Amino acid sequence: MSQKSTPANLLSRHLILFVTGDAPRTRRARRNLAAALSEAGIDGWPREIDLLEEPRQALDFGMFATPALLRTGEQRPRTVLYGDLSDEATLSQFLGEL
Amino acid sequence: MTPTQKDQVELALVKRATGIRSLDAVTRGGLPARGATLIVGEPGCGKTILGLQILAGALSRGEGGVFMSFEESSTQLLRNAATFSWGGLLHDASRCEVIDAKGMKGAEFAGAFDIEGLLAMLASCANRVEGTWIVLDGIDQLLRHQPDQEQAIEQVAQINDWCERQGYTLLLTGKHSGDRLTRPEHLAGIEFLLPTIFVLSSILVDRRLHRRFRIAKYRGTHHDPDELALLIDDDGIHLPYANTADEEEVMASSQRIGTGIERLDDVLGGGLYQGSTTLISGQPGTSKTTLAAAFVEAACERGERALFVSFDELASRIVRNVASVGIDLQPHIDSDRLALQTHTSWHSLAEQHFMALQQRIDEVRPHCLVIDPASALLKASSAQSPHIALERLLDRTRRDGITTLLTSLSSDEDPSDESTLTHVSTLADTWIVLRYEIRGGERNRALSVVKSRGTAHSNQVRELVLSSCGVDLADVYQYGTEVLMGTARVEKESEEEAARQRQKREREQRRRFLGRQIDKTLLQISEQETELQRLRAELEDESAYQGSSDRELARHHETIRQRREPENTLNREKRQTRRQEDGQ
Repeated sequence: MSQKSTPANLLSRHLILFVTGDAPRTRRARRNLAAALSEAGIDGWPREIDLLEEPRQALDFGMFATPALLRTGEQRPRTVLYGDLSDEATLSQFLGEL
Repeated sequence: MTPTQKDQVELALVKRATGIRSLDAVTRGGLPARGATLIVGEPGCGKTILGLQILAGALSRGEGGVFMSFEESSTQLLRNAATFSWGGLLHDASRCEVIDAKGMKGAEFAGAFDIEGLLAMLASCANRVEGTWIVLDGIDQLLRHQPDQEQAIEQVAQINDWCERQGYTLLLTGKHSGDRLTRPEHLAGIEFLLPTIFVLSSILVDRRLHRRFRIAKYRGTHHDPDELALLIDDDGIHLPYANTADEEEVMASSQRIGTGIERLDDVLGGGLYQGSTTLISGQPGTSKTTLAAAFVEAACERGERALFVSFDELASRIVRNVASVGIDLQPHIDSDRLALQTHTSWHSLAEQHFMALQQRIDEVRPHCLVIDPASALLKASSAQSPHIALERLLDRTRRDGITTLLTSLSSDEDPSDESTLTHVSTLADTWIVLRYEIRGGERNRALSVVKSRGTAHSNQVRELVLSSCGVDLADVYQYGTEVLMGTARVEKESEEEAARQRQKREREQRRRFLGRQIDKTLLQISEQETELQRLRAELEDESAYQGSSDRELARHHETIRQRREPENTLNREKRQTRRQEDGQ
């Protein structure tokens, strides 16, 4: 897993990436997210939840398609971006609101 | 799965019963035990209810299941389910998992996605509840976000294959906008992929919603491909016209039962065959209900159970009205031998009436059934021919040996038009027509038996006579080529009686006259006889006198001669004659 190590950073507190093992779209999503974060100059990597390992997490978070990027925060409503994050504009807008 | 294994699975298609009797009948046993069944339809056709009901049925049999909705929240689902008799079953969290995936509907997507996570979650849930049933309600709401439609279709195939492998019975529901396609709008091509597809649809007829069910596809098994009416009531979904009965041939009974009117039984050659169907048609007021009431009264008096279904007339009014002609139904209602029920014809679709009647027959198990009038059933709104409801019902009553009497209102404008009822009359074994005969300022009820299968029935029209003593038939008066009834009949009968009396009197007079003539003649004969005797006597007297007179005259002449001739001469002659005789 190509997780960049920035312990207790902003990203891991407010972002969760739901994945399924090492599926092609999961890999693509990681690649697209990494590129977007790099582009935005953001360090760190979100928390990842593998639904193949922890299927009940899908229920708990209401995530029924993968990959999915969940943004949480005490102040703001939670939002989700589904898919392999290949839509750069949508992804950068999503991250921009972080 | 290898192709060989797959072939084997397909060869032996195992089905899993849904517990919805009519659905299991049209699918010949239920849904494929492994794999997906797609249910497509417009909004409001009952897709979700069907899914919930199937799951509730599984729960009632001790099976477990998972329901995942992409359309409604869990709360909404359970609230909707609570309106049905089985809704409470879905609250059993130990065997039932209701998953709220409504949030997926408006979610934001940035590229293609996988469903492996979804399947892993479903497997986990199914495992927890030890379930074999999975319902994915509104799967199209998720898959329409897939940028490439091909991928969406592949994922449906993926779900289907996964269920086949895992041994899950899966229901997928999807919407379409009423173009009568067999697939959800966003899933073009899915219809070729899945082996089992049900289509639900709805149409408005006379401003009423009619729901329909059709098996568009059920690969590898016999099924009923007809579009069938679908009803939703408190017990959920029903397909009232599904053939749930055995198709076994039933023996026709040769036993006859009374109609409650003795002379009508005579006309019918001894009564109605048990298990037969009789149609009584007639204009309003021709006593159809009264005949029907006499029929059920007779049944109850034989100790049988009867069901009298009245459309649009209150039960209490029927009891009151027929009591005026000596038919007392109340004791039979009190003793539960007679169930008298009122249905409102406009209130329901023909299919709903049919189903309600079926349920009543199941409850009452009657020997005799009356539907008064059955024409109300035919008037009820139906997308199909409403005759189907009646045909199905009569098929049922024949199989169960229920002697059925239907009444039918014939047209007021053209009372002679018996052909409007042709369809019903062909279903009936016996057809009795009641009509008014209007003559001399009065209406009289005429009864004739148009047909009666298997019976040498009388073809004569008879007058139906109602009085407080009961219902009876009277022979009509034949007057030339016409028949007279009512007052005309009574008048004609008294005229004829008067003529008969008059003739009788005339004959009597004639006889007396002749008697007198005979007496007179006899008297004359007697007088003439006396005269005859007198004349004879006179004649005899006359003859006797004549004889004595002649003899007197002879003697007189002898005396004179002797006096004139001397004695000697005479004696000498005598002696001479004597000697001559001696000498010889």
